[in-house]
Amino acid sequence: MAEERTVDGRGLMPPEPMELTLTALDSLPDGEELLLLLYVEPHPLYGILRKNGYTYRSQTRPDGTVEIRIKKA
Amino acid sequence: MQPGLSFEQAPPISVPFRFFLTAPVFGMAAGLLLLWQGPAALASRWTGVALALTHLIAVGFMLQAMCGALLQMLPVAAGANIWQPQRVTHLTHAGLTVGTLLLLAGFLSEQALFFRIAVPFMAVSLGAFALIVLVALFRTPAKGPTILALRIAVFGLIVTITLGATLASGFGWQLALPLTELTHVHAVWGLGGWSLLLVAGVAYLVVPMFQLTPPYPMWLTRIFSVMLFFLLAAWSITWLPLQRPAELQVALASAAALLAVVFAAVTLRLQGQRRRKVTEPTLLFWRLAMTCLILAAAGVILQQLKPGEGEDYAGTPFLLGVLLMVGVFMPVISGMLYKIMPFLNWLHLQKVGKPGLVVPNMRQMIPEPRMMVQLKLHLAALALLLGAVPLPFLVYPGGLALIASCAWLEWNVVEAARNYARFKEELAEKLAAEQPD
Repeated sequence: MAEERTVDGRGLMPPEPMELTLTALDSLPDGEELLLLLYVEPHPLYGILRKNGYTYRSQTRPDGTVEIRIKKA
Repeated sequence: MQPGLSFEQAPPISVPFRFFLTAPVFGMAAGLLLLWQGPAALASRWTGVALALTHLIAVGFMLQAMCGALLQMLPVAAGANIWQPQRVTHLTHAGLTVGTLLLLAGFLSEQALFFRIAVPFMAVSLGAFALIVLVALFRTPAKGPTILALRIAVFGLIVTITLGATLASGFGWQLALPLTELTHVHAVWGLGGWSLLLVAGVAYLVVPMFQLTPPYPMWLTRIFSVMLFFLLAAWSITWLPLQRPAELQVALASAAALLAVVFAAVTLRLQGQRRRKVTEPTLLFWRLAMTCLILAAAGVILQQLKPGEGEDYAGTPFLLGVLLMVGVFMPVISGMLYKIMPFLNWLHLQKVGKPGLVVPNMRQMIPEPRMMVQLKLHLAALALLLGAVPLPFLVYPGGLALIASCAWLEWNVVEAARNYARFKEELAEKLAAEQPD
């Protein structure tokens, strides 16, 4: 299994997490997953992902961190 | 950066910007009215001038900016889509702008005709806005304390609009209504049930996000909005019987004020724990607002414990009004505009981007030193207007400082809008230059 790619956006000032995520998606090979960690649900990013053929799953950890796993549809 | 990414959820940038460009103009108008009327503006909270001033700030400035921000924030931050966003924008913006002017004319001229036009006009436009936003908030799959607080806040707005329309009908058609009681309840829902809950709902999201603080504690976000709502509802009901339960009224109002103190204190504490110790204008605007909220809430409690006093004396309501409107809500709104507008610029500029084309940084949208100048002007306005209670002549420099603060805010807002247009053009030119013939 390929190594998981992660963008940890916690503690970064918006829009840095989105910039890093979009840059990381540029080089994400088909079938691989990008893990994004944030303290909020990134609704603008979800819109972009849906429109551009990505799927995502999100779940919230007990400490309030939202894990978003993104890959090409 | 991904080429040609679409940003379906963000409504056109003109949607929120027209509200943000209009709001400071009404703030300046309030300053002008203070200069025109001088110390007479402080004579009583029941004069037409005092009511005109209140509505210039509460509807013209506050509600204008809040509606614009909400229309933008719902899709971006809550994943809630507004039905017919363009039409709702036109209707709401017209309702707020023309509505404020009608109220201003009505209060200053005391002509019933203005209220007769304002009632259907504002009730339909603002009522439609509130209902459409409420539906969007109930249809979004998003959950959490922000959504809950926003739902209750919009319900509070509906209560405020209904009571406002009732009061204005009373002026317009000379109806025999208990005007004093209705005015108290209308004002408390407008400032507490709508404005404060909206600020809290937004704070849960943006304070940790933009100020890099720990999240709000769950015990607070779970109880604050629901408890404030029930306290205000119970307090409102105590006005109904002829024999008013005075002690219960005092207890409920004081409990609601205490709750506001808790929210403000937690916010200040979180800001003290922020991970990057950078002091920037938005943070300072928020800290000023939370400090004033504590002072205003303390004032409300003191006023409750000394019944009778302050009923006719204009100083107390003027002091509380200045603390809440000029001290709490105007600073929060200014601080938020300095985050929202650069962020929206950045978000919308992404649409024109392509690989290798770097979209300008958020910091380039409004120069930070200019935000700081507005903060200082606003602090001066606040201090002078509070000082006008013991020293009424201070209302003149206070009014001038308020005009200066709002004019400076307008300049900064215009700068953000102009920079958006400029950067968009520059990006388009760069793109065109890269296209092969």
